[in-house]
Amino acid sequence: MTTKKKANAAGRALVIGGGIAGMQASLDIADKGFRVTLVEREPTIGGHMAQLDKTFPTLDCSSCILTPKMVEVGSHPNIEVMTYSEVIDIGGKAGEFHITIKKKPRYLDVKTCTACGLCAEACVQRGRIPNEFDMGIGKRSAVYIPFPQAVPQAYIIDPNNCLMLTRGQCGKEPKCQKVCTPNAIDFTEKDETITVSSGVIVAATGYDQFDPKLKPEYGYGRYKNVLSGIEFERLCSASGPTGGKIQLNRKEPKRVVFIQCVGSRDKTVGNEYCSRVCCMYTVKQAHLVRERIPDAKITICYMDIRAFGKGYEEFYDRIQRENILFRRGNPSEIYKRGSSMVVRGEDTLLGETYEEEADLVVLATGLVPKKDAGEMSKLLGLSHTPDGFFEEARPEETIATSRAGVFLAGCCQGPKDIPDTIAQASGAASLSCAQLTKKGKTKDLRCR
Amino acid sequence: MQIGVYICHCGINIADHVDVEALTCFSQNHPHIAIARDYTYICSDPGQDLIVKDIERYQLDRIVVAACSPTMHEDTFRKTISKSGLNPYFLEIANIREQCSWVHDDRTRATEKAKDLVLAAIAKSMLLEPLEEEDVQVIPSSLVIGGGIAGLQSALDIADSGFKVFLIEKDPSIGGHMAQLNKTYPTMEMVDNLILQKMKGADEHPNIELLTYAEIVAVEGFFGNFTVTLRKKPRYVDPSKCTNCGHCEEICPVRIPNEFNLGLDHRPAIYLPFCQAIPHSYVIDPVACQYVAGGECGRCVEVCPSRAINFDQKEKERVIEVGTIVIATGFEPFDASLKPEFGYYRYERVITGLELERFLSPLGPTGGNLPPHWAEPENIIFIQCVGSRDKAVGNEYCSRICCMYTAKQADLLREKLPGARITICYIDIRAFGKGHEEFYERVQKAGVIYRKGIPSEIFQKGEKLIVKAEDSLLGELYEEEADLVVLATGLNPSREADKVRNLLKVNWGPDRFFMEAHPKLRPLDATVDGIYLSGACQGPKDITDTIAHAHGSASRATIPLFKGKVKIDPIIASIDGEICSGCGLCEDMCEYQALKMDDYRGRITVNAALCKGCGACHSVCPVKAITVKQFNTEQVFVQIEVMA
Repeated sequence: MTTKKKANAAGRALVIGGGIAGMQASLDIADKGFRVTLVEREPTIGGHMAQLDKTFPTLDCSSCILTPKMVEVGSHPNIEVMTYSEVIDIGGKAGEFHITIKKKPRYLDVKTCTACGLCAEACVQRGRIPNEFDMGIGKRSAVYIPFPQAVPQAYIIDPNNCLMLTRGQCGKEPKCQKVCTPNAIDFTEKDETITVSSGVIVAATGYDQFDPKLKPEYGYGRYKNVLSGIEFERLCSASGPTGGKIQLNRKEPKRVVFIQCVGSRDKTVGNEYCSRVCCMYTVKQAHLVRERIPDAKITICYMDIRAFGKGYEEFYDRIQRENILFRRGNPSEIYKRGSSMVVRGEDTLLGETYEEEADLVVLATGLVPKKDAGEMSKLLGLSHTPDGFFEEARPEETIATSRAGVFLAGCCQGPKDIPDTIAQASGAASLSCAQLTKKGKTKDLRCR
Repeated sequence: MQIGVYICHCGINIADHVDVEALTCFSQNHPHIAIARDYTYICSDPGQDLIVKDIERYQLDRIVVAACSPTMHEDTFRKTISKSGLNPYFLEIANIREQCSWVHDDRTRATEKAKDLVLAAIAKSMLLEPLEEEDVQVIPSSLVIGGGIAGLQSALDIADSGFKVFLIEKDPSIGGHMAQLNKTYPTMEMVDNLILQKMKGADEHPNIELLTYAEIVAVEGFFGNFTVTLRKKPRYVDPSKCTNCGHCEEICPVRIPNEFNLGLDHRPAIYLPFCQAIPHSYVIDPVACQYVAGGECGRCVEVCPSRAINFDQKEKERVIEVGTIVIATGFEPFDASLKPEFGYYRYERVITGLELERFLSPLGPTGGNLPPHWAEPENIIFIQCVGSRDKAVGNEYCSRICCMYTAKQADLLREKLPGARITICYIDIRAFGKGHEEFYERVQKAGVIYRKGIPSEIFQKGEKLIVKAEDSLLGELYEEEADLVVLATGLNPSREADKVRNLLKVNWGPDRFFMEAHPKLRPLDATVDGIYLSGACQGPKDITDTIAHAHGSASRATIPLFKGKVKIDPIIASIDGEICSGCGLCEDMCEYQALKMDDYRGRITVNAALCKGCGACHSVCPVKAITVKQFNTEQVFVQIEVMA
């Protein structure tokens, strides 16, 4: 393990998490002339937003908004992006935090790699490993790029599946290394520890999708045609495994049922809170089905439709007119009858139970705190609210925390849609820069 | 000439309706095309990289990108090509998404149209001229319009970053609607703690100058250099002398409805807006005061021990210069009388949510209780979505806060009146914020009844009000007696917003709230550069979301201040001094006051920073002396010719 030390810079911010929240916070801070270190644990920045197809309520494609921002972050002179890296220790206090970052080995030099893709084609594991970006619907090689628009534009070797790294041997010689003309692959790469100093920290660690297996009555994992919200996004996405065709086993589903509040507003799974985005993303997904399969029978089972943002109610109204049935009441179970699924529930408006056949069931899975949010909150010296998300300074002020110099942005503080996330992330940048300005004379600290 | 053409699939947004491969082949065959390529997302890193590498490899001197609207990514691609040293204005965008693939179903014909659009773009690109962006210095200060919680928070953030802030408020005190509220949901804390802290913070901040009881009358200038004229209304009381002894208030013979308490009680013509008002000083209402109106009275002057009252004060105009402007004009409650079926004006005991808020406030007109002359209500009904989600009154949007403030008020009333039956009639319960669902559940468990379905009318029967509705869960009609009905009135944009919109020339959306530059790319920026949106003026928001939003807009508004300079768009009008006859027709036509007559030479001149390149002047010029760069006659006509 090698250790590198970076020069102290009090006019510097550390941003943890490279999703839309972390990216927006970084851009706002960097645009004001302060330096930013952006740490992202995955091999690329972009976060969950990169997985989405279109965004509600404008139906803008997610990539068209996100990818140029990713390029801007990647090429900003004041932002240092550290992907595939994790914060392992935070010491010091506001104005002078000392952060230790572990940079995991990519086994591939980011600067040399041209992202030509020959390695992935040569890999003996090609097409065998479930692609996590596509939620396992597609398959990839052991050497891969998370998605074509990734930043940095570089491949990475998966240490758990590469034969060279797991067994020490891959045929006579690893084919990827042989085809790589710029010689970017290096199987001897090791963990690296880097320490940086920063005046402030912005936590933008995001969320995980609720695991729908915890609702066994919906048969997720047992039935192939029961999908989670993000899986369905990948299925719709042009860059997804089906190229944007809504198909299961190459067949278009003609009867689609969406179920809301899976893992939200549900004490039985310990999530009493509302996830804030599922109503609208389901309404959007229903529209995408209507657009691509005009004769499909589409049903949305809901408890309350929470269309509260700007233009949301109008969008909900428009989608209701697209011959989509909204049924109040969440189903109690899903089972299989022959080749189709049967959704069983009570329509609370009609006051009667029903059974509805479906070819595809999409569960509007909620947002839960990141798996390791507990450890991260310890590192940051923060507590969390009963729902598991990071605790803010006071309920009305969601950005500042109980620890001076540490700010929150995005879903790590609680579920949020994209516009609210961006507003909060810009807000975190505002408080960060005010703090950095206080700790010394701004003009001297900022880089020119 | 070497031209590169880049055709974007935009995922399937374009590729599904336009044959991008055919389009690429077609472009490649054009005689001036060095290279034509298609890619999933040209705006992504690898997409932009294609262009950068090709410029070097093929020595390209013009770039055509066939993709989405130029409003979306023209800037992105300009940055891309300038990386390779090419002038950023050697770029032409063919909009084959908004103007083609999104609006056509027939793939063959859409492809033909896309070909035409690309052909036109190629033709124009050959006539493009290099343009240089000029830097303008930014005045390192900001103006925040509105002294509610959003404006206060934005002002505090900008000031904390070390910049001067002018905070302008139309009322005699800062604080806004939040000062009228009682407790916050879901934590049930007193609102005062928070809003007073912000008000004091703004008042004491060395970088903030409060301009209360003032309004904007004119805005000139441009991004980085706005010149704003303010009119400060006379208070007739000198805040530095006023000791708030209250003698004047007692002697004043006038009593008019008190707007802070929504007319639920009365105040004199000389009054303190509310007990924690900042500036903490009395003010004279010029409309109500008998002395101001007719010169009689003047009793307050006699009793004032500190001689703070001065009727000679006049309206004052003041001009300030700022680099950026934050709009935080907030909201106003929906006027419940527009729903006559609920009888808001007819029945005393049909009140609005904000009125109940004042009744329940310890500092309110009734000291925190319902009016003493009302018998203790046994049956209370809340009605949600009054003026929200209601196309009949022109408000299709959800007001975002009413579900929760109703739950809070129901909870407060339940504590006060343990014996009362409390019902909330709703459409959907939107408890989406942090801790909201948990609060909603607690209120339900505490015995508040939720009934789905909004009542159709309220009428009086003897002493009682009757609420008539359908319970859509039971599927039955019902009539229920009530002693008190509370209407959860929604949020409308502030009336002030209208004035501000005209002065600043920013756009609003169909819901009449200010429109953001892009709902996701730039949700805090207004449609005019250098102007930002904070809080409920952009759309209804609760306190929590407003504060986050206000922090965010402060961040956006300080970026140019930190940078110290901004670039101005070189796509503007230019005058051919040889041809211009100095007739001045264009001067009247220009909406941005960018054209001025040079009296010495008798010719028109263009202010590059003010000109938006709209081209209105070009169309009126009788001698065709005005051209708009990048859109000159030749460049426009060649596009029409190749498509014909």
